[in-house]
Amino acid sequence: MLYALCLGLFMPLIGFVTLLSTARYVGRRQAGFIGCTTIFISLICFVSLLISYVYTGASPQTYTLFDWIHFNSINANFALHLDPLALLMTLIITGVGLLIHVYSVGYMDHDDDFARFFACMNFFIFSMLLLVLAAELLLLFVGWEGVGLASYLLIGFWYQKPEAAEAATKAFVINRIGDLGLLLGLLLTFYLFHTTDIVIVSNSVETGFTIGAPVITLLTMLYFVGATGKSAQIPLQTWLPDAMAGPTPVSALIHAATMVTAGVYLVVRMHAVFTMAPMTLQVIGIIGAITSLYASLSALGQTDLKRVLAYSTVSQLGLMFLACGAGAFYAAMFHLTTHAFIKAVLFLSAGNVVHMMHGTTEMSKMGGLSAIFTKTHWLFLIAALSLSGIPPLAAFFSKDLILENEYLVGYEFLYYIALAASILTGIYLTRAYCLTFTGPQHLDSDQHDVKEAPSIMITPVLILTFFSIFGGFIGFSIGRTPWLEDFIAEVDVTYIEKELTTDFIWSYEGILAIVGAIGGVLATALVYSKFRDQLGKPIEFLKKSFYFDEIYNWLFIIPLKSISSWMAQKIEPEIFDGSINILAQGTQGVARALQLVQSGQVRAYVAWMALGAVLLIVYLVY
Amino acid sequence: MLPHATTAQWILGLILVLSSLGVILVRKPVHASLSFLLTLLTLAALYLQLSAEFIAVIQILVYAGAILVIFMFVIVLFQDAHQKIEEEQPKSSKILLSIAGIAFALALAFLAKQLIGLVSISEELPADFGTVQAIGKSLYIDFFFPFEAIVMVFLVAIVGALYIGKKNDGTLMGDM
Amino acid sequence: MDVSLFVFVSLAMFGIGIIGVLINRNALIFFLSIELLLNAGNLLFVAFAREWENQTGLIWVFFVLIIAAAEAAVGIAIFINQFRTKQVVDVDQYDVLRG
Repeated sequence: MLYALCLGLFMPLIGFVTLLSTARYVGRRQAGFIGCTTIFISLICFVSLLISYVYTGASPQTYTLFDWIHFNSINANFALHLDPLALLMTLIITGVGLLIHVYSVGYMDHDDDFARFFACMNFFIFSMLLLVLAAELLLLFVGWEGVGLASYLLIGFWYQKPEAAEAATKAFVINRIGDLGLLLGLLLTFYLFHTTDIVIVSNSVETGFTIGAPVITLLTMLYFVGATGKSAQIPLQTWLPDAMAGPTPVSALIHAATMVTAGVYLVVRMHAVFTMAPMTLQVIGIIGAITSLYASLSALGQTDLKRVLAYSTVSQLGLMFLACGAGAFYAAMFHLTTHAFIKAVLFLSAGNVVHMMHGTTEMSKMGGLSAIFTKTHWLFLIAALSLSGIPPLAAFFSKDLILENEYLVGYEFLYYIALAASILTGIYLTRAYCLTFTGPQHLDSDQHDVKEAPSIMITPVLILTFFSIFGGFIGFSIGRTPWLEDFIAEVDVTYIEKELTTDFIWSYEGILAIVGAIGGVLATALVYSKFRDQLGKPIEFLKKSFYFDEIYNWLFIIPLKSISSWMAQKIEPEIFDGSINILAQGTQGVARALQLVQSGQVRAYVAWMALGAVLLIVYLVY
Repeated sequence: MLPHATTAQWILGLILVLSSLGVILVRKPVHASLSFLLTLLTLAALYLQLSAEFIAVIQILVYAGAILVIFMFVIVLFQDAHQKIEEEQPKSSKILLSIAGIAFALALAFLAKQLIGLVSISEELPADFGTVQAIGKSLYIDFFFPFEAIVMVFLVAIVGALYIGKKNDGTLMGDM
Repeated sequence: MDVSLFVFVSLAMFGIGIIGVLINRNALIFFLSIELLLNAGNLLFVAFAREWENQTGLIWVFFVLIIAAAEAAVGIAIFINQFRTKQVVDVDQYDVLRG
């Protein structure tokens, strides 16, 4: 088991190093081959681990690779923890990752910097695997930072584009703000538990503290701040839409399927601590709900295809956090899984369109592309319907689970917000589909060679679409506990006792959700097919996503910039340089004063000697 | 508390101080050098009082006989130039000089006050104290190396003086 | 023997010598005052040699005498050199080594 684990974890790292060192010598095919093979081997390792885990009935286990930090009272080992939760995440990461890597071979074929791209992607996979497999919070933090770095490298992959570089910096800085919270949380963990081993912390938090203890609330709030930064929740959500300046596979992998889910993973992983702080869970739920609604509304006003999907991601992450807030950690993980598949499909099929249209993402330039993209538009449609919550597609089950848990726990208000967000999901996704694929064509004259994407780009999407259709059934079954829940239940991620899932679908709230979803989709399709020409421009307020960026600019960036320029122009020359100048001038002044002694006058010299002799006499006599 | 000394020593001391004052205070340099001569002779007498016969004689021979003569020659040579001093302004700061002078005088007075109660040994004196034989013996046997060194110093001084004093037209002693 | 008188006289002569150096602007009187200083030192040596009946003091006086002679010779040479340049005997004018 250990060998498979290590091989699976470090294979992408080897790929990263290899590609980076041979970047100049490998050709396009070899780089792509190396990049995909490493992930493939990783996937095989984790699948084999899964098989052996399930069929030999193993239990969660920690493998210490080597002693890492021993410093005063801070001890951390490089230890990996294998349990169902981690295994689920690794399968998602490597599975979806592999498919996206294969897709990228086709997507980046116009690019010269092939090897660097795959190197960064491999590095990202490695960091993410490290994050989910870490047994110590400190090691998790290493992976956390690693994915942040990979995100920066990949968003700014086309570094010649100024908006890409700015978006990468923005993502990194906002992530950093969240990381500060996580770091403080780590320090607090050290202080409270004298270790950051997750298992130990989870076990000792119940015995050592009472429910609702302020220090635990503080700890969980700090963790949540970190999760907010990474998973783009309010107020740290502004980086995700701008991050769409990177290549589409990057958006698919990092900003849909894996990195942004690291925040959810953190909360779920530390669920033992979070359940001891009900207030934090309430805050998480509220923020999740608000973010979800806010992002859905913003997505409604976007004209850029990828930005619609970005806001959709923010919204779905909000739903996951909402589930966590209700204590339904299993529901969050389930939705994470289905969302990974579906969002990957959405992004990759959008990528097909963008790639074949030579880089445009504005939906105003698209329209009626279903005639050209015969296969892609079906995949997009299926995924859109799935995410909207149409039964029996995948996301229906996970979303419904969330809504049900929300309602059962008693957060009815949040339930209605989540319901509104879900209905809006259907609306904006259908809108995106209609604007892109139906209606009259708006192709420019220089884009007459647009055709369907090559099979290397379609096949991965096809596989993922398969999962987005049937993936829900791993988490749903009639009459007995679903397979996924059984699998993860070992790590005890279910908080509340509940009845069998089947009952919910036929309750009032369940039917409301289904009807709302179907109704929203149909209504939007109707509007865009009949009244498309009468629809004006999108509402500016929504397009600018409630002017969050502008507010932040006014609140933080402009004051900081003015302070910086003031410091650079006023303080630095006058105070810092000035003090050094004073030092130099003082020395010169003293020298000039002392120069007067050297008058060349013998009598004056004798006078000074006489004075010295006076001092000597006084000293000697006393 | 007056020092315990014979009348002759008192008188000689008084003359010494007065003639020293004369050296520095008289107007004409020739008078100053004559006053210096008196100082040297008085000094030799004082040395005799202190049973240092050899030193007294050497003092008269070397100081009064050689050094003073040099000074006399030079002073007489530059007699006229002495008047020109009054034409120029002094360049050293008078304040500094006066402060230094007064402070030094006070310090010396202070030092003298501390030395009033000096302890002295008994009056037994070796018979050959200060004689030529004794000093010669001491010089050539105990202090032979410094003696030779002094000779070297003297040699260097002679050569140096000759070199510094030569005229810049290439010859060593001018037209001589 | 009580040599206090000689010590006082020596100190007085030393002080007079220093004041002479500070007062006079004529280079030659300047030199004479320096000789006064040396003689004051000599007197002190002889006095204490007599008090402690140590002949080393007298030897030392001998050496000082020789050095004084050498110094007078060199000093006069320097003075003559400067006079050739400046044509004055004013010590204040000999300030070439000014900082």
